[in-house]
Amino acid sequence: MSEHQPKQKKIRPPRSFGWMAEYEDENQLLDAARKVRDAGYSRIDAFTPFPVHGIDEALNIRRTRLPWFSLVAGMTGTTVALLLQWWTNAFDYPYIISGKPYASWPAFIPVTFELTVLFAAFMTVFAMLGLNGLPKFNNPVFTDPKFDRATDDRFFLWVDSRDQYFNAEKVRELLEATGAKAVEEVWEDDSPTEVPKSIYAGIAVLILITLIPGAIVLNMRNSRSPYPRWHIFFDMDFQPSRKAQQPTTIFADGRVQRPPVPGTVARGELGPNDPFLLGYDPEGVAMGKGAAVNVQMVSYQQENSASQEPIEEPPAPPPPQPDTSAADDPQASATADASSEQAGEAPSKPAGDQAPTTAEDEGDAGAGPAAEGEPNYAWLERFPLPVDAELIEVGRREFEQNCAACHGLAGYGDGLVSRRATELAQGYWLQPTSLHEQRIIDQPVGRIYYTITHGKGKMAPYADALTPRERWAVVAYVRVLQRSQNARPEDVPADADLASARGDDTTNR
Amino acid sequence: MATNSSSEDLTLPGGWRGKAPMLLAVGLICVLLSAGMCYFVGGEENRSVGFSAFLHSYLANFIFCLSICLGGLFFVMIQHVARAAWSATIRRVAELLAYMIPWWLLLFLPILAMVWWTDSPALYPWNAGSGNVSAIVEKKLDYLNPFWFTIRVFVYFAVWVLCARYFFGMSRKQDETGDASITLKCQKWAGPGIIFTALATNFGAFDIMMSTDPEWFSTIYGVYLFAASMLSFFAMMIVSCYALQRAGRLQRQVNTEHFHDLAKFQFGFIVFWAYIAFSQFLLYWYGNIPEETQWYQDRMNHGWQYVGLVLIAGHFAIPFLGTMARKVRRSRPLMAFWGVFILVMHWVDMMFVLLPTDEIHFSGLLLIGHLVGWIGMVSVFLGLLIYRTGDTPLVAQRDPWIPDALAYQVGP
Repeated sequence: MSEHQPKQKKIRPPRSFGWMAEYEDENQLLDAARKVRDAGYSRIDAFTPFPVHGIDEALNIRRTRLPWFSLVAGMTGTTVALLLQWWTNAFDYPYIISGKPYASWPAFIPVTFELTVLFAAFMTVFAMLGLNGLPKFNNPVFTDPKFDRATDDRFFLWVDSRDQYFNAEKVRELLEATGAKAVEEVWEDDSPTEVPKSIYAGIAVLILITLIPGAIVLNMRNSRSPYPRWHIFFDMDFQPSRKAQQPTTIFADGRVQRPPVPGTVARGELGPNDPFLLGYDPEGVAMGKGAAVNVQMVSYQQENSASQEPIEEPPAPPPPQPDTSAADDPQASATADASSEQAGEAPSKPAGDQAPTTAEDEGDAGAGPAAEGEPNYAWLERFPLPVDAELIEVGRREFEQNCAACHGLAGYGDGLVSRRATELAQGYWLQPTSLHEQRIIDQPVGRIYYTITHGKGKMAPYADALTPRERWAVVAYVRVLQRSQNARPEDVPADADLASARGDDTTNR
Repeated sequence: MATNSSSEDLTLPGGWRGKAPMLLAVGLICVLLSAGMCYFVGGEENRSVGFSAFLHSYLANFIFCLSICLGGLFFVMIQHVARAAWSATIRRVAELLAYMIPWWLLLFLPILAMVWWTDSPALYPWNAGSGNVSAIVEKKLDYLNPFWFTIRVFVYFAVWVLCARYFFGMSRKQDETGDASITLKCQKWAGPGIIFTALATNFGAFDIMMSTDPEWFSTIYGVYLFAASMLSFFAMMIVSCYALQRAGRLQRQVNTEHFHDLAKFQFGFIVFWAYIAFSQFLLYWYGNIPEETQWYQDRMNHGWQYVGLVLIAGHFAIPFLGTMARKVRRSRPLMAFWGVFILVMHWVDMMFVLLPTDEIHFSGLLLIGHLVGWIGMVSVFLGLLIYRTGDTPLVAQRDPWIPDALAYQVGP
């Protein structure tokens, strides 16, 4: 195409680019460079087969700014790596990997190191190219065939004609005076500047070749074939993985879905039959046992707190009290003994805690019809979670928000609602249960939890309003109220520091 | 460019030589003082850890000095094997440092005697013998027993001493004869010398240092000691050359380029040390296997964790940034400061590596006792170095590389 266009080739004399001197060893070169430098020329350069010590100083080359590029890029790499890992792993999508904290700095270091090196190395290379004005397709020095020996055994010094003080004759004389083997003028390359057509053709052919695989794929996707398709990665196309509910040959039982390992609970995955949610041990009924400490509970507690004390009921009534109450109530005493034998655990606990698991129906005088009958379950007698000051504080808050309106702030059943209703003298109003009735004090914690969860009589169920943990917290606070409202002078230790004893005694013992 | 050394005084300054007996005396007193202080470190009621603490402290200070000499030995052989010209003027100082190793065998004899004649587990728990060690160590007793331990220690020292003696002796011979073929011989033997010294240093680190906690193991431990050795050696080299120049020696022989190169080496080994130290930590931390993490467990509790943090900052971050700039590396007083800084950090490093056990906890008294012991050991080190140097010229004047080294120049 282009040969038809009349292209006028500019004709101009080749330009001089400067003078080049050739030397036989590096010491001659160094001496010459110093002389040229001292003569005042600054646009000078040297070409040597190997790095020559001292050439920077001889050519008066300014210190390079390259290290600053590397430093800034390296610091950027460090920052980017740390931010990237922190953002992805600890902030945007917090994810626990092999039990480490989200922001696990030791694990971040290898990536940080790599990115620091990568950024610094890339920046160093590209900044070096940029500062040197590379890539460059041509340099006039290549026009001189002698110059090829710069990669072999000759040393060249070059003075650029663009130098401020350049004077062709003086430069030539100066270079000749340095004992150069040869001094020559460097001319502009007079070879044609157009790109040869064969290169265009070659590029076009390469582009066409790269289109072939795409064309084949397109053809295959839009045509039919009697042959089965290719599977380049067979094991990726046919993986042994299955969808849920499908059979498999990998496991002996032929099921894809794996049952949980016995005795374990996945994080946040308590089963619906868990005593923590129910307030009683569903298996305990069937086996006729009291509330056994479930394996699941143990693991749950262990992951909750390493320093936990044996879980006991915080506000256990003072030991003498249940004895007297039991003496007052033979039935309760009998059932308490029976249940403590059944439970077979914690025999040293106060009898009052081994509250009757049966015979709940004797109470509840006015508490409603109890249509479904009193549940007869293996109530939990111990809290299934560690009881500490924080939990009791949660319990206090929830109690005062949800329960105190009826039951009263101290639990005597004299809340605002109750007082108002009594003032209105509505005859059908029944006073809410006082939590300090002996039968409530005798109830196991699981029973109270069950009442909160399912409601009782007029009391609405609170399963929707309170999480299981909050319900247990309220139970703990009820125990606190019972203990504090029924305390005796003997309960106070002789050497008690009253200010701190309150915190300790109501939480852990 | 040839040396006209007749007018130059290339021996130790006279004032230094007079100080050697005092240094040795101060050193011995300080080591005894350190023993006394460490003895009162205390421990559980029924068992004093004082003796154990002193032995660990002594070993840490001992390794501090020995590692510098080993670094010198490696440096000398590497210069020969690389046929390096630039270092010809400073190699003699490294040779003198390396040739101090026989003295360190002498200073290790007390520990050997303890291993040989007692069954005290105070330093090496395996020394208690069969039946008195844990099940894991019981299996290792075939290797870790007084007899084989002593044999191996002598083998390691034999390799080090032979290499140090050979290269020092050849260099001294060249001082007299000026025979260039001696340099060729040194170049020939430097290769095998490096291999044997590396093996001896690696296994020496396992035996002498790592077996203070025989249940634990780290395959990179020898490399760790190598990194610390080279780093502390270059720091010592910079400080020595600076001090000698202040005293009017080596003025012409060691120029800014030499300092710059030593500083570049030091910079490189700061990073190498950090790389090795962190690799060792990260792999054990990630693996999270009780048997492997125990060593770090001792070092991440009882106050030692703060020493570890000091190392991260002082052994890596601060000197890394501090000696990064070219201007700093070419400034002799600044590099002398950084050399001293690195040597102090090397001491902290050896303390962190060797002192902590489940019984020896960090305390102010222990730190002071260990510091006094260090001052003592360094005094002994300097005193012995002065004795070792004596009348020896500080430059190998007739080394064929000397003209190149004198003309050594890299850039502006």
